[in-house]
Amino acid sequence: MAEEIKPAAAPPKPAGPPGPPPPKNPGMVTFTIDGREAVVKPGTNLIEAAASVGVGIPYYCWHKRLSIAANCRMCLVEMSNAPGGKLMPACQMAAAEGVAVKTDSPKVKSQQKATLEFLLLNHPVDCPICDQSGECKLQDFYMKYDTQASRYDQPKVKLGKRVPLGKLVVLDQERCILCTRCVRFLREVRQNPQLGVDARGSHSVITTAPGLPLDDRYSGNVVDLCPVGALTSTDFRFRGRVWFLSSARSLCTGCARGCNVFLDYMRDGTYRYRPRENEQVNREWICDEGRLSYKHFNDDRVLSAKGGRAAAVAEAARVLSAHAGQGTLAWIASPTASLEDLLAAALVARDGLKLSEVYVGGRPDGWQDDFLRRADQNPNRAGLAMVARAFGMAVKPASELAAAVASGKVKAIWAVGAELPAPELADALARAEVRVVQAVNEGALASAATVLLPASPAPESDGTFVNFEGRAQRFELAYWPRGESLPHWGLAGEIGRVLGLTSRWSSAREVFEDLGRRVADQLPGYAWASLPSVDRRKGIEPLPAGTTDGRLPGHRERMPLDANGNVEWSRLPNP
Amino acid sequence: MPYTIDNRPADVRESLYFPEIFQAIGLVVKTFWRNAFFSRDPNPDILERDRTHNRVATVQYPEEKVPYPIGYRGLHRLVPRADGSPRCVACYMCATACPAQCIYIEAGEVEGDPIEKYPVKFVIDELRCVVCGFCVEACPKDAIRMDTGEHPTATYTREGQIYDEKRLLRGPPVSYEKDPWLVRPSRLTDAALAADRAAARPFSSLGADEYSQTPGFSSRTLAAEAKGRSGA
Amino acid sequence: MKRFVGMWLVIGAVLVGLVGLFAAFYALAALGAQAAVALGFPGFFGSSIVNAITLMAVTLMTVAALLTVAERKWSAAMQDRIGANRILVGGKFPLGGVPYLLADALKMLTKESTFPVARSKFLFELAPVLAFSPTFALFAVVPVGPEVRVLGQQVGMWVASPDAGLLWVFALAGLSVYGTTLAGWASNSRVGMLGAVRASAQMISYEVSLGMSLVGVMIAYKTVNLQAMAIAQGVDVIGPIPAIGLLLQPLGFLVFFTSSFAETKRAPFDLPEGESEIVGYFLEYSGMKFGLLFLAEFVEVVILGAITAAVFLGGWHPIFFEGWLKAHLDPVLFGAVCAAAFLAKVIFLTWLQLIIRWLLPRFRYDQIQALCWKLLLPGAIVNVFVTGAAVLADPSLELLAWIGVVEIVAIFGITLAVARPKGAHAGHDAGDAHGHAAHAAGH
Repeated sequence: MAEEIKPAAAPPKPAGPPGPPPPKNPGMVTFTIDGREAVVKPGTNLIEAAASVGVGIPYYCWHKRLSIAANCRMCLVEMSNAPGGKLMPACQMAAAEGVAVKTDSPKVKSQQKATLEFLLLNHPVDCPICDQSGECKLQDFYMKYDTQASRYDQPKVKLGKRVPLGKLVVLDQERCILCTRCVRFLREVRQNPQLGVDARGSHSVITTAPGLPLDDRYSGNVVDLCPVGALTSTDFRFRGRVWFLSSARSLCTGCARGCNVFLDYMRDGTYRYRPRENEQVNREWICDEGRLSYKHFNDDRVLSAKGGRAAAVAEAARVLSAHAGQGTLAWIASPTASLEDLLAAALVARDGLKLSEVYVGGRPDGWQDDFLRRADQNPNRAGLAMVARAFGMAVKPASELAAAVASGKVKAIWAVGAELPAPELADALARAEVRVVQAVNEGALASAATVLLPASPAPESDGTFVNFEGRAQRFELAYWPRGESLPHWGLAGEIGRVLGLTSRWSSAREVFEDLGRRVADQLPGYAWASLPSVDRRKGIEPLPAGTTDGRLPGHRERMPLDANGNVEWSRLPNP
Repeated sequence: MPYTIDNRPADVRESLYFPEIFQAIGLVVKTFWRNAFFSRDPNPDILERDRTHNRVATVQYPEEKVPYPIGYRGLHRLVPRADGSPRCVACYMCATACPAQCIYIEAGEVEGDPIEKYPVKFVIDELRCVVCGFCVEACPKDAIRMDTGEHPTATYTREGQIYDEKRLLRGPPVSYEKDPWLVRPSRLTDAALAADRAAARPFSSLGADEYSQTPGFSSRTLAAEAKGRSGA
Repeated sequence: MKRFVGMWLVIGAVLVGLVGLFAAFYALAALGAQAAVALGFPGFFGSSIVNAITLMAVTLMTVAALLTVAERKWSAAMQDRIGANRILVGGKFPLGGVPYLLADALKMLTKESTFPVARSKFLFELAPVLAFSPTFALFAVVPVGPEVRVLGQQVGMWVASPDAGLLWVFALAGLSVYGTTLAGWASNSRVGMLGAVRASAQMISYEVSLGMSLVGVMIAYKTVNLQAMAIAQGVDVIGPIPAIGLLLQPLGFLVFFTSSFAETKRAPFDLPEGESEIVGYFLEYSGMKFGLLFLAEFVEVVILGAITAAVFLGGWHPIFFEGWLKAHLDPVLFGAVCAAAFLAKVIFLTWLQLIIRWLLPRFRYDQIQALCWKLLLPGAIVNVFVTGAAVLADPSLELLAWIGVVEIVAIFGITLAVARPKGAHAGHDAGDAHGHAAHAAGH
């Protein structure tokens, strides 16, 4: 009867909803958004998931590098699995298998409109004096989702219009929408919670602790994070309108980290740095000091040579060649110069001036932290070492050059870049008989030069910096060299030409194509074209300044000019 | 009524020429008599001139000026506030809208005032200006107008055509009820504030209508002034 | 009103000034005559030389120069403008634009004189002189005033009074065509050459009718001497009306005036010049050489006005109140009044020429020739025969005068007659008669 005993029949399945069907794409989540099918990794945030299929969901408070606050309510979307058909904040929801998301239903649209109306309820709408206008999310979303006049006829809440939070940041409490991105940045990224939200309701404001300033060394990032015009930079404040600015992809020259930035410029002036995303280097932050390090591009520049650049170059070549090959000549290179500058200068030093060692100048060391900032304030020290190795030159510190000058062994110096690690070195080097200095800015060594050549900083040429990790990164030309200046590679090339070298370069690209193979073994995988010249953001026509601005008649853009004020067509980039 | 050309061949009277010439002589003599023996009415408004005797239509330009119609786009001016500072907040809207790029602005920060921004420099190069009026349209503060009814005067140098904020800031002040400096704590004294508020009027963005909103400053008044000058 | 009174005051002052001026001229001529007599020459030698200076060099040139200004101001008044008024003497007084005279002269004299390289050098220089001098010399025979006894000398207000008279006028008027033709030819420019060809064809054509129109006058006054004609015009013919040329020869006047107009090459007969579009014979001239050609034109205007006045408007006779003036004034003063009256007539005729210039558009070239050969010349020939017949029938000229009156009335009648009813172009009434009813279909 054993066979009689049958195992108990499998209990019938309990009544209830069927289990979830197997995933359509194993290991991935498949769902639809506005009818489009999206396949993303499990746990992907809905905003990012939507962006991956080209659906934009508006948001203010969400930021991919910050925690989710979900307080702006701008990203509310319709989800098929939402209880009771409620709208769900997309920033807080992960994509789930089989869910249908709608971002353009009438319900969502009316919600977006209502959200904007609330956000703008007490907004002062002082766009004319707001630095954010042009890149303000309130403006953008109002035009996209709202476009209705305010129905609120009561006096608006009056709050602080100009609250200086710190050295670099000013707060306009009326414009603030309380997204708390700034609060979260300081708390989570910097772990230095200097900002908080005070008071309640429509009187809520962002504020520091009473009496304490916002003095974090990365505080400038809250200005970039702020989606509206509440936090503005004291440095850029009122200096221009963002739609006039063009952006060049550049590198911060403040330290050896080589943070990626956008260099915003108008005509031939740099106006600000904005961090550019690079997961390997700086993610999307930069320090305050680096943010302000563009200033020397504009101020205290050496823009002309005595008697014209051509005459000064000829004079430099003459006095340098008089000492060449006699052991009384030395060259000092600044690691603030780009790889191309140093390649060109090294070629001239070795072949034209018969030098076999290079002294290293550059800015003195500064502070360092474990976030981004490096103590070495020169962007290209590693690049200089590579160049020296490639040309078989011994690298020596600047202090040894000072000693050699003091002992009378070295009578002539050629400085490619006038930055020196210690101020007293300038006095020491000034004792040399011949001092040919290629300087970007006025300074102790520049004023001590016998032959001073105007050099251009990074925005005025293309180039490469090698950061402290040995990572070579490209930056691009923003505007043409100011005044009579030329990049170091240009000046070195002109000196080399007088000295009889055959190399001819008209752009940094040509320098790299000519000399870059010498360092190719030290830069595996690096290609000049790693920064394709597309996607450059051009501002609308740059501002004019009447006929007194020195522009050539009929030229709306600044053209590269030679020493006589004529357009140098050869320096325009090839189409 | 359409005009039709009469191609009838000339009759004897016409082919003689003389009869028509005599008639024409009479006409020209009459005109000559009127204009040579009677004095001209120097009213710059030609249509209002007394033409019973002298019918000369000339306007002696630099001394007499034809008043321009309302809405004529003349020389720019920066509209002042009651305390004499410009209404302009240096928002660059005019410079952005300007197709000729003739406006140059440098913004500065006002200490201790809710209107934080003001033009440190506001320069219009009238040689580059194409007189399109976009700057007036673009201005969100009614701070730049072209209601002066004047041309840029002739100069011997290019620099003379460059008008800076000192030359541009003129005309009677304008205030609107919702101007921020009237509704917020500002640097104005209480008395100035009260006077300004009393003169303020509801903001209207009716375009050309704004030209007539400044009492005592329009091409009509200019015309009246010119008339008074010529009468004196 | 102030201007009205002022204008009449100016006109009166000018007339009074002219009287004084000519009194002085008479005195000067008498002094010249005395000097000549003292040197053993006939008296008219001296007075002629003085008159050549006072009449031709001073009066004629001044009037011609002032005409350049008057053309601007009068044209302006005819066209409801003001005219040149920007030179202010003392910063305040435009003085009727007269200072422009000096400015123009200064401009002409200081302008660079350019010339075509391939010109005919001698003829190029000669042409302005040839254009200017014959017209200038025409004035020699014009009697400006009567013969008066001053300071014991019998002096006349003319440079010369040859018996040839009008023939001298024809001869010199015929010469002036050489100037224009040579100017066009010598500058070796095809445009200038075409202008010169137009000029010579036009001027030669009109010379025919010009000459023919004066034949009637010669028949009527039985002389070709201009002074004798002037005297003859003082004789009363119908009651107190004197036998002025306009009364005896209205048709001759019209033909002569029109032809003289064509001779001056001014609008509406300005085909030889046409500065603004077809340009003309003096295209290649600049500076004072151009100025000379330019001035020749104005001199022509004055001189032809003077001859017209001398032949047709009673010469130097004041016409009104002549008897009273003669009886009550000193003979010298009377002579001066006569001369002033003559000059006033000349100015009136130049003014009339300006009026005609501004009221007529330029003729087409075929119209110019047709006007000359088909209208003016037949008219002049008919006039010659009618005059001859009338003078034969009644040597006292009264019949001729009545014929003249009839002609004048006929001309005025035709002028005042309405040739075409108003609204005829609409085709409703009279237009129908001309077969223009089709135009009415559109209404």
